[in-house]
Amino acid sequence: MGNFGNLMDGFVIALSGYHVALMVAGVLMGILVGVLPGLGAPNGVSLLLPLTFTMDPVSAIILLTSMYWGALFGGSTTSILFNIPGEPSSVATTFDGYPMAKKGEAGRALTLAFLSAATGALFGVVVITALSGWVAEFALKFSSPEYFAVYFLTFASFIGMGSASPFKTLVSMMLGFAFATVGMDTVSGSLRLTFGFTDLIKGISFLVAVIGLFGIGELIVTMEEGLRFEGIRAKVTPRDVLHTIARMPRHWVTLLRSCIVGSWMGITPGGPTAASFMSYGLAKRFSRRKEGFGSGEPAGVVAPEAADHSAGTCAILPMMALGVPGSATAAVMMGGLMIWGLNPGPMLFIERPDFVWGLIASMYLGNVVAVVLVLSTVPLFAAILRIPLAIIGPVIVIVCFIGAYTVASSTTDLWFVLAFGVAGYAFKKLDYPIAPLVLAMVLGDKAEGAFQQSMIMSKGGLGIFFSNGLVSTIMALALLLLFWPLAGMLVSRLRRHGM
Amino acid sequence: MPRSAGLTRFAMELVVAGATGLIGAVVVAGAREFGTGWGVAGPEPGYFPFYIGILIVIGSLGTIVATLVRRQREQRIFLDAEQARRVAIFCGPMLAFVIVASTLGLYVATALYLFGVMRWQGGYKTGFATVVAVGTAVGFYFIFDVWFQVPLLKGPILNWLGIY
Amino acid sequence: MLKKTTFTFVMLASALGVVAAEAAWKPERPIEFVVTSGAGGGTDNIARTIQAAIQKNKLTDANIIVTNKGGGSGAEGFVYSAMAKGDPYKFTFGTNNEYLLPYVAKLGFKSTDLVPVAAMALDEFLIWVHKDSPYKDAKSFIEAAKANPESIKFGGSQSKDTDQTLVSIISEATGAKFTYIPFKSGGEAAVQLAGAHIDANVNNPNENIGQFKAGMVRPLCVFSPKRMAKGPKVSGDMAWSDIPTCKEAGIPVETYQMPRTQWLPAGVPEDAVKWYIDLLAKVRQTEEWKQYIERTSQTEVFMSPSELAKFAKDEEAKTVAVFKREGWLAQ
Repeated sequence: MGNFGNLMDGFVIALSGYHVALMVAGVLMGILVGVLPGLGAPNGVSLLLPLTFTMDPVSAIILLTSMYWGALFGGSTTSILFNIPGEPSSVATTFDGYPMAKKGEAGRALTLAFLSAATGALFGVVVITALSGWVAEFALKFSSPEYFAVYFLTFASFIGMGSASPFKTLVSMMLGFAFATVGMDTVSGSLRLTFGFTDLIKGISFLVAVIGLFGIGELIVTMEEGLRFEGIRAKVTPRDVLHTIARMPRHWVTLLRSCIVGSWMGITPGGPTAASFMSYGLAKRFSRRKEGFGSGEPAGVVAPEAADHSAGTCAILPMMALGVPGSATAAVMMGGLMIWGLNPGPMLFIERPDFVWGLIASMYLGNVVAVVLVLSTVPLFAAILRIPLAIIGPVIVIVCFIGAYTVASSTTDLWFVLAFGVAGYAFKKLDYPIAPLVLAMVLGDKAEGAFQQSMIMSKGGLGIFFSNGLVSTIMALALLLLFWPLAGMLVSRLRRHGM
Repeated sequence: MPRSAGLTRFAMELVVAGATGLIGAVVVAGAREFGTGWGVAGPEPGYFPFYIGILIVIGSLGTIVATLVRRQREQRIFLDAEQARRVAIFCGPMLAFVIVASTLGLYVATALYLFGVMRWQGGYKTGFATVVAVGTAVGFYFIFDVWFQVPLLKGPILNWLGIY
Repeated sequence: MLKKTTFTFVMLASALGVVAAEAAWKPERPIEFVVTSGAGGGTDNIARTIQAAIQKNKLTDANIIVTNKGGGSGAEGFVYSAMAKGDPYKFTFGTNNEYLLPYVAKLGFKSTDLVPVAAMALDEFLIWVHKDSPYKDAKSFIEAAKANPESIKFGGSQSKDTDQTLVSIISEATGAKFTYIPFKSGGEAAVQLAGAHIDANVNNPNENIGQFKAGMVRPLCVFSPKRMAKGPKVSGDMAWSDIPTCKEAGIPVETYQMPRTQWLPAGVPEDAVKWYIDLLAKVRQTEEWKQYIERTSQTEVFMSPSELAKFAKDEEAKTVAVFKREGWLAQ
């Protein structure tokens, strides 16, 4: 009840004309930076930061978070239309979103993505509202072994049932891990696999690899086939959008599961990237149309989007309550909080309830504003694809390279994109799965770091991963998921024998 | 069955598996610089990279063996002459773009690349191609450098023109 | 670029007929603040505060862009600036990592690739324990560590960096042995301590203030020659100035402080360095800066280039001895 009353106070703060105008402005700018692969939410937020120095903190955070929502929606757009994910967390959306767009269902894929994302976000805010007092305490229970268990669970839910050759899956995943280890190792402080190249000290950016593997690799395949984006050039009408909205409730099981996975991962805090991969893996596993995944299955868009956004939303709470940012964007926002004179941490809820609840209320409103704006612009985005290939093709190439350059202002990364592009092309044609590589690259160093920290804590004993109820439960769940396909095979074989 | 001209999938499988195997070997070599054992406080820094590299090598060898075993089925064409031409037409200018971008800057490269592709591959008129190419480069300049303050590489030509 | 600048300058000077000494160097293009930490880190905070102070009070007409280059414990940013030799538009923010990092790893830059401009603050280090910890003061904490070697888990930010160096110095000075666990940031170490997953950390005031205010962690002592500045109560009836210095509390380590430093690539004109010093001097007078110092509980200083160079040299001598003892020196 206390929370509800606080929330109502929050709505009073957030619903002023000025704040709604800020939300609209923030969301629109966010969509712009999200759609341009070179820019992302972190750029947008750090750009707006100086503007907020003169604002009151509540208005400032409303502007920044609205931009964040806009950027997340914009990021899904490029994943679906061009196979170029703007953020790690929208990688999983490309798996089925891009094939859908290729089949001429760009509008449907976009609408599905936006609606699922909004549902996920709203689910997340409801969770935050209901659990705000308790979430911080739960997140405090997480230490290195628990983090490792969560990453392990993500891997376990995602792998184990691809149709590709096991050797190729192994190579792909291990290459991802290898790329993730390049650069400075947090735990030992040693520079690994840099072979004396100064440019490798910062590591191989995940974004550079993804832009090459997905963006450029896909373009080479398209060009080789002599295609001209024919499928994607289909027109999108407002009717398609409405039609998709009407059929949305069909996906309620996937939606609900993904929202729960997302919220849980946001709070724990495993993060939106892990959440979207895990949710995609689970959707595939429990689907009756497993074969359809990877070639344009709508549930394959719904699952990662809903999980990504509910996790992203829920992650705001531990950030404020504990002062640990879950993503680059959250880190920039936290910097902002300090400049506005607020200290993120448990006391924030007590010292500045107007700020906290104004923000939470603005998350409800901001997401509604965002989804309305973004849905009404779907036909506009899809129209990009009607530009002739001789123009849009090179523009996409340029945007890919600019995007990679902006990661670290390094021209070496341009060559990396080229190399990853060729690799992506070869992998795709030879049926190497690329998703395990990406997943390993994103979570590899985090998982390794958590593992090494756990080992220092336990002085080398593996028992630490089963040392308390929480970590044991997560590990058991992960092992169950890992061996699920094996168990399934065993059961069906036994049954056949019984017959 | 007569073999048509082109690169077979068989050859390509071997090339790619060879390349990944090589990367695996490099990773193993790099990991050997550090301890690869299991120390008092858990794995040493080279432990994971070492076994990751070994697994890459094993996976690559596995693919090579599987390919050799199925040699007959792998004679399909990976890339025929026409496809190779298309790939080259796409990748050639892209390579040029990267070279120009790292020497003359991203904006100059953007304009040149877009102009080149539109003019010679798209068959647009010189005037139109110039307008679109320069317009795109200028547009990117405003979006990245001016509005979002993400500086892109300008290169000597723009510096000479007084744009930093 | 240089030619054009000189040319414009000559034109201007001859037109006016005078050369004003203080106008010897002036920015003519956007200044880049190179931050050698990720977004949200301590180095990022000071750079963005200074950016805000400059822009809000219009201290210069030049535009300021902040770029984060925190890869390899900040080496990415230093290499970036070092390669822009003689470029006065790469104003680089760091800590003591500028001169200490090259000792622990081969990183592609030498400390002499950058020239010192200023150090504007000294960040303090404290020993923190969990609120339910049995150790009420530094003495009992050290005794417990001695009685049971390596049983106390000390968390910190990064490996072979300031935090681990301090833990090593404490060990050396007291003879107590600890287990050090490196996390990605001081913020993570703070949360791990609040959750009682580690026994202690050596965070800066700003990294632990949220948990301190909420009464989840307790400071034992501060590694400063004198107590911290007086101020309002922060947590319960405790103010920063109520925390004893570690020397008072019985740990024979007098000072361990981290300077927040600013650098320029080597080879920049003398006048450019002077221009930046003047700019920073103006920043120190702003409300934003004063609030920053107060909020982060740092000790304000304003070292000149030569003072910073001397500070760096002294610290290098002391720290390299630690590196040598621990075997961290890069061959």
